[in-house]
Amino acid sequence: MPMRYGIASLTIAAALAAAAPAAAHPHVWVAVRSEVLFTPDGKIKGVRHSWTFDEMYSAFALQGLGKDGKPPSREELAPLAKTNAESLAEFDYFTFAKYQNAKAAFGPPEEVWLEADDKKIVTMHFVLPLQQPLPAQKPFSFQIYDPTYFVAFDLEKQNPVALAAAPAGCSTSVVEPKPLLAIDTQKLNEAFFAKMSPGADFGMKLAARVVVACP
Amino acid sequence: MRVLSRDCALLLAAFAALLLLQDAALAQAMRHPFAVGPSEGPIGATSGLTGLLLAWQSKFHMELQSAAKALKTDPFAFASLAAASFAYGVFHAAGPGHGKAVLASYMIANETALRRGLLLAGLAALLQGAVAIALVGVAAVLFGATAQRMTDAATWIETASYAAIAALGARLAYVKGRALLAAWRKPAFAPAIAAARGGAFACVAVDDPSHVHGPDCGHAHAIDAARLSAGFRWGDALATVVAAGLRPCSGAILVLVFTLSQGAFMAGAGATLLMSAGTALTTGALAATAVFAKEFAARLAARKSRRAELLLRCAEFLAALLVLAFGAALLLGARMGPSMS
Repeated sequence: MPMRYGIASLTIAAALAAAAPAAAHPHVWVAVRSEVLFTPDGKIKGVRHSWTFDEMYSAFALQGLGKDGKPPSREELAPLAKTNAESLAEFDYFTFAKYQNAKAAFGPPEEVWLEADDKKIVTMHFVLPLQQPLPAQKPFSFQIYDPTYFVAFDLEKQNPVALAAAPAGCSTSVVEPKPLLAIDTQKLNEAFFAKMSPGADFGMKLAARVVVACP
Repeated sequence: MRVLSRDCALLLAAFAALLLLQDAALAQAMRHPFAVGPSEGPIGATSGLTGLLLAWQSKFHMELQSAAKALKTDPFAFASLAAASFAYGVFHAAGPGHGKAVLASYMIANETALRRGLLLAGLAALLQGAVAIALVGVAAVLFGATAQRMTDAATWIETASYAAIAALGARLAYVKGRALLAAWRKPAFAPAIAAARGGAFACVAVDDPSHVHGPDCGHAHAIDAARLSAGFRWGDALATVVAAGLRPCSGAILVLVFTLSQGAFMAGAGATLLMSAGTALTTGALAATAVFAKEFAARLAARKSRRAELLLRCAEFLAALLVLAFGAALLLGARMGPSMS
């Protein structure tokens, strides 16, 4: 029945339009340095983040700020820092923590500030307190990623994670994800495409996991 | 009418696919903490191809960044910036976006002429680039606006574009709804009426070369695809260009502000226009697909012209309704969603 084909072709057109190439790709790159904070009695109380943005986003953030070619001060950047921090709540602060395989929730960020260095690179600093401090003997881990993958978060190459006032014997390790851009060296075979199909949580699949272990 | 209702049901299924596209694009309404200008699409359900596109886009974005940085020192940097911009445009446009959703729906609702469709896609892409250049040029270069101000401005433009989509959809739905009603009320086989309507049914001798009619042919064989666009108006077409292209893209804004910070705004503007050219290539392919699909449907339905016409009118009306619903939903999302500012 010819009409079927007509409809099929309309469907194909629609599907092509919808064409699952649903790819937002990163527009912003962030290099992450994090510090895991402990209470005096040895519980994990939160994470202190330093997120350094790429040159392009830094240029965008600093547009119209600063005088005589000098980077703007912390005070000048305060309004932007406030805005950023407020909208971070919508996205769970891009920080997804697990404690004993359950989700551990963070409260609103504290000590939020932005800094621009001499090369006009912007870093955002803030502390994410856990809603309640957690005993450190059980496994605690977190990932930093943007589920919409507008921002690509990567851990700093050197010493990305530190412990602050941790009980003796605590350590951190980083479980790296499989690299995405290693594709250049790969052939376009079935296995390649299978590997490139990470499902909806693309950002998560590309995120390293920071694991904190205490004796 | 029983057959017809079944076909209409099938048609509805076809449009469910279009809805999927809109769904993907709707998620754009969400505000992002580090938004650059307007909000960008999410990464939806991914396929293997998506991953590949994603990797390429990221790669070209990185190349944009390093080429823009080299502008001051390397005389050939603009060439690499230009190449990266064009490629970025091609691949970035392959993602979901409300611009493409609007364009595709409009094409199905209204457009049957390929060249015109390509022109519309090109104009929409050009407009998108021009808006980004104008935004950064006026806000940042002239007024030294901050990132927040620029994002606010982009948000206003975004909201205006959503309103434009809703308005376009309302108008198309009105026009197409009337056309559908008219087609529905027509007697089952009425060549005289077809002729009186200005010949929406053309004469095509399908299988017998000797079977040829004069200009006032007595019966109908096929719908002339070109005549389906009898209701074409440049006003609607330009409204589509505005609705699809008004919202600037984050990538362009980033490149413009970055080149501005390097003292090379004009190079950034050139790169943005090349990005538009790349985008036009991709959206043009989408527009062409819509045109071909509609033409194909009309041809295959050659022998059942009345039913085919009704169906196509039905399709056009549904596509128009989709544009309307889409615009309304985006507008609502933009108004009610948490604001960046």
